[in-house]
Formats: sequence, structure tokens, C-alpha cells
Amino acid sequence: MAPLPLLALRATPSLPVRQAAGGVAIVLVLLAWYLLTSGATPEARAISPSVFPSPGEVIKGFPSLVTERNLVGGIAASLNRVFLGFGLALLVAIPLGIVAGSFRLFGAAAQPISLFGRTIPVAALLPLSLQMFGIGELQKVMFIFLATAPFIFHDTARAIVGVEDRYVDTARTLGASSSHVMAKVLIPLALPDIYAMIRAMFGIAFGYIMLAEVVDAGAGLGYILLQSQRRGMPEHLVGTLFVISALAYGIDALFRFFERGFFPYRRSHE
Amino acid sequence: MSDAASPDITPAAAGAPATATAGGATQETTTVVEFTQVGKTYDTGYTAIKDVTFRVDDVPGHMEIVGILGPSGCGKSTVLRLIAGLTPQHPATTGIVKVMGKPVEAPGADRGFVFQDYTSFDHRTVEQNIAFGLECRGTPANERLELARDWIQKVGLDVKRDADKYPHELSGGMRQRVALARTLVLKPRVILMDEPFGALDPKTRYAMQDQLVALSREVQATVFLVTHSIEEAVYVGDRLFVFSNAPGTILQEMSIPAPDRPARVMQREPDFLDIVFSVRDLVEGLEMYDRAGT
Ligand SMILES: Nc1ncnc2c1ncn2[C@@H]1O[C@H](COP(=O)(O)OP(=O)(O)OP(=O)(O)O)[C@@H](O)[C@H]1O
Ligand SMILES: [Mg+2]
Repeated sequence: MAPLPLLALRATPSLPVRQAAGGVAIVLVLLAWYLLTSGATPEARAISPSVFPSPGEVIKGFPSLVTERNLVGGIAASLNRVFLGFGLALLVAIPLGIVAGSFRLFGAAAQPISLFGRTIPVAALLPLSLQMFGIGELQKVMFIFLATAPFIFHDTARAIVGVEDRYVDTARTLGASSSHVMAKVLIPLALPDIYAMIRAMFGIAFGYIMLAEVVDAGAGLGYILLQSQRRGMPEHLVGTLFVISALAYGIDALFRFFERGFFPYRRSHE
Repeated sequence: MSDAASPDITPAAAGAPATATAGGATQETTTVVEFTQVGKTYDTGYTAIKDVTFRVDDVPGHMEIVGILGPSGCGKSTVLRLIAGLTPQHPATTGIVKVMGKPVEAPGADRGFVFQDYTSFDHRTVEQNIAFGLECRGTPANERLELARDWIQKVGLDVKRDADKYPHELSGGMRQRVALARTLVLKPRVILMDEPFGALDPKTRYAMQDQLVALSREVQATVFLVTHSIEEAVYVGDRLFVFSNAPGTILQEMSIPAPDRPARVMQREPDFLDIVFSVRDLVEGLEMYDRAGT
């Protein structure tokens, strides 16, 4: 019997088929969620409402999530912290990474420190940032900075090192000086990779901020998550999760949109 | 230099001056490129070339194209990169590499290089790629643009259609035209080409050969062309260096008639083919000798 072509190993279905597959999976999960949380009384449900809310409860809870829990303010607070911490990390780590990638001695010198920074677990950075910066806004911003800067530095340096020698050789035989090579060859040719790294790291930073916000945040998406759990309002907790997911997707779509404009010479944008 | 009626190959002992200079008159002739007992041993301990000695004299009005032939791995690229001053080939382990009478110290725009791999800068349009060297030199923007457009035309591209294209929109032949224009616009004294047409189809290849001959004469540059095609070397070259392997050195240096008709025409003529066959016999003989010797 011939295997179904769609199920053949590594066979790539057409885009509509792939989209349909994703859609079917979502419907199945929603259906399972609905069935497991439906019932006339709490006792009749397979999963108790105190453990996990039903889809209807999440939707009904949404207006109060916005009004009573200040969802919009929470989004603004979280994004603000990420922008500050991540922006600071970009400002510091990208120039250093460019230097480390261009001048191998500096790169070799930075290597062990960078490795140390990248191996500190996020779980350890949290108490460390509290220790160093207290419990205010500064701690949240610095937490994001410390968590992302070593990676931004490392990946930037790697992108610069990854520019093939033949481009540098070509530039040299066309009369380029060292600073010409850096400004006109290394940085522009590494930029698409650096941008892709920024895009991926921003997604991670946005996830990290919730961690910092479970400690004395006063506002922010992580704060809303924790308060919802403490007050026994699972419908707010789950509703916020959907908001976070949609937000992360939206931001990434924005990055992708600008990628096309910034790098028209890149053939693939996927 | 020679009439094309008979296969005219003049083997010369490796290292002898190209033009027959009668006793001791060498002081007045400057050399474009001069290798004296040049050897290169890489960090790996492998000796790629040894005792390479040759000179290409600067004869006003007669710009030579030197074809370099030899088996794979015999050090052809090593020689070109030594002339260019590119690491890790530069500096030579032994001997002296001189360009225009001075020892080579670093790469410079006086020695253009066209690589086999495509090296167009992806983020620059055709026009901006060609203007790269002028930009480094500090040529004003409007002058740069004018020169770049000039050269787009000279290498057989279309200003309207191609000037604003990015490299990923170009065919292999177009990319090598851009690479050639990018080098020639700087009017280098020496042009180094490492199998530049290796990846092109025969028709494009003929066209590029003719363009190379015409344009290198126009900018008055001495060309070193490394190629695996004996036809190409014999057609384009005024002189051939045939390298032997392990460690690489020049085993045969010969003068051949300069190209005076289009590649597509000349490369079909019996006289031309006679020369190609003689060179082929020679190269194969060298390879045999090479094998017997090791
Ligand atoms: N950077 C390097 N380090 C060590 N060995 C090298 C290096 N570059 C080249 N070699 C060796 O030196 C020898 C000559 O290399 P080269 O590239 O000059 O040969 P080639 O004649 O250009 O060969 P091909 O026709 O295949 O391009 C080869 O055996 C190669 O392996
Ligand atoms: Mg080579």
C-alpha cells in the first residue's frame, strides 16, 4: 500500500493545507478545553472551575480584566520596562560585539566573561538583581539588561566574525582601509543577522519581564498574572495569557515588517 | 611579437627576463611584477610554492596578459594572493615579491583582484558596488556615479536596466562583469584574476574574454589570469606560466601570439588549435614528469 503523500517523511504540504492543519489543531484544543470545563454545576465539570476556567468564563471576565485590573496600564508598564532594559542592552552590547568581532584580540579577551554572563540562570539573576538594585523600577530594567546583554554581545560578535573573508579581501584590493572595511563591509553585511538576533532576543526579553514583575511590581502583566492567581480569579489569569501571546505575535510581526524594508537585498524573509 | 601563421611557442627558461635583454641592461627597465626565489610555507607546515622566480617588465604600450596554468593545488592562487598582499599567503616565507620595483607590503587598489567566488557586496546595488573603491578613495559622489555608470556600460551591462539591481538579482556572468568593472574603474596597474570565468557558460565566457582583453588594454593594466582552460590561457595570454606541483614552481614559461580576433572566431582556427595542442602536450608532459619525480 502506498503511503499517503501528505504523510510521507519530510513532505511539505501546500500553504493552505498547512494553515488548515494549524486551524484544525486549534479547534481540537478549544473543543477539548470546552468539554473538560463544561457542566451545569462546578461538581459536574471534569476540571473544577477553581483549577481552570471555561472558555466562556474567560470571555466574560475580559471586561473586568480591562477595567478593574487595568490591563492597558499593565501592558504599558511591562513594555516600558522591556524597552528600557533591552534598549540599554542593545546600546551597550552591540558596539562592544562589533569591536569584539572585528578585533579578535578583544574578542578573545571578552570570551570568558561573555560565557559567564550567558550561563547565569535567569532564576539566579532575579535575586541578584534584587540584591543589587532593590525592588523598584531600576531592578526590573536592570534585570532585563543583565539577562539579555551577554547574548546580544555574543551574537553580534558572531555575526561580524561570520562575514566571509573574501568580502574583506575584495574590499582591501579595492583600496579600503580598516575603518572602511568595518563601516562599509563588516557591519552592513552582518546587519541582517544582527537584526534577526534582536528580533529573537526581544521576544525572550518580553517573556522575562513577567518574571521580574512577580516581585513587588505594582503594575505590569506579570503583576496582573500573580494577583489573579492570589485572588482566585483564574479567568483573568488565562485571559492575560492570551493577551501576552497576541502581543508577542504582534511585536514579532512588526519586526518582520520592518525587516523587509531594511534589507531589500535579502531574498528570503522567512 | 610573433605571427600567428605558425604555432609559435617560445619556451624560455623559468626566471629569464621576458624580453631578451642583451647583457646587463636591466637597470633601466622597471618591472611590473618580480618574484625572486619566492617560497611559501603555510602555518600547517605545508610548502605550497618554492623557488618561484619570474619578472614581467614594464614596457610602455605593451601591456601583457599572463596566463597561469597548472594542476590543482600547485600554488596558483598562492602566487596571485602574494602579489595582492593578501593574508595568510602574504608575507612570503622566503624570497622577495616586488610590484613596480617595491616590495609588496599590503593590499592596495593598484592591484585589482577578481575572484572566482562571487564577491559582490549584497547590500549595494550594481552602481554602488562599482563605486565602492572610488568611495574609499574619496571621489566626490557625482563623479563617482558618472564613472560607475560609464563602466557599467563598458563591461556590457545596461545602465537603465541594471544600475539599481542588487547582486541577488544578477546572473553569474553579470556578477563577474560587476566585479570586473569594480576593479577596472580604479585603473589598477595590475589585475589579478583567479579563475574568474570558471563558472560561466561557454558563450558568456567568450564574451568576457574579449571584454577582458579590450578593457585591460584600455586601462593599461598587466593581467595575471589563472585558469584551468588551456584554450582560455592561450587565447587571452601573451605569455604563459606553466606550474608544476608539490611544491609548486614555474616549470615552463612561454610566449604566444596575442589575441587579435574575437574569441569565438579565433578559438576555432586550426592555427590556434595547433598552439593549444602543443601546450596541452607540454602540460601533460610536465604532469607525467611530475609524477615520475615524486
Ligand atoms: N591558508 C592555507 N593554509 C594551509 N595550506 C594552504 C592554504 N592555502 C592553500 N594551501 C595549500 O597550498 C597549496 C596550494 O594552494 P593554492 O590555493 O595556491 O593552489 P591552486 O593552484 O590555486 O589550486 P586550485 O587550482 O585548486 O585553485 C594547496 O595544497 C593548498 O592545500
Ligand atoms: Mg586556486
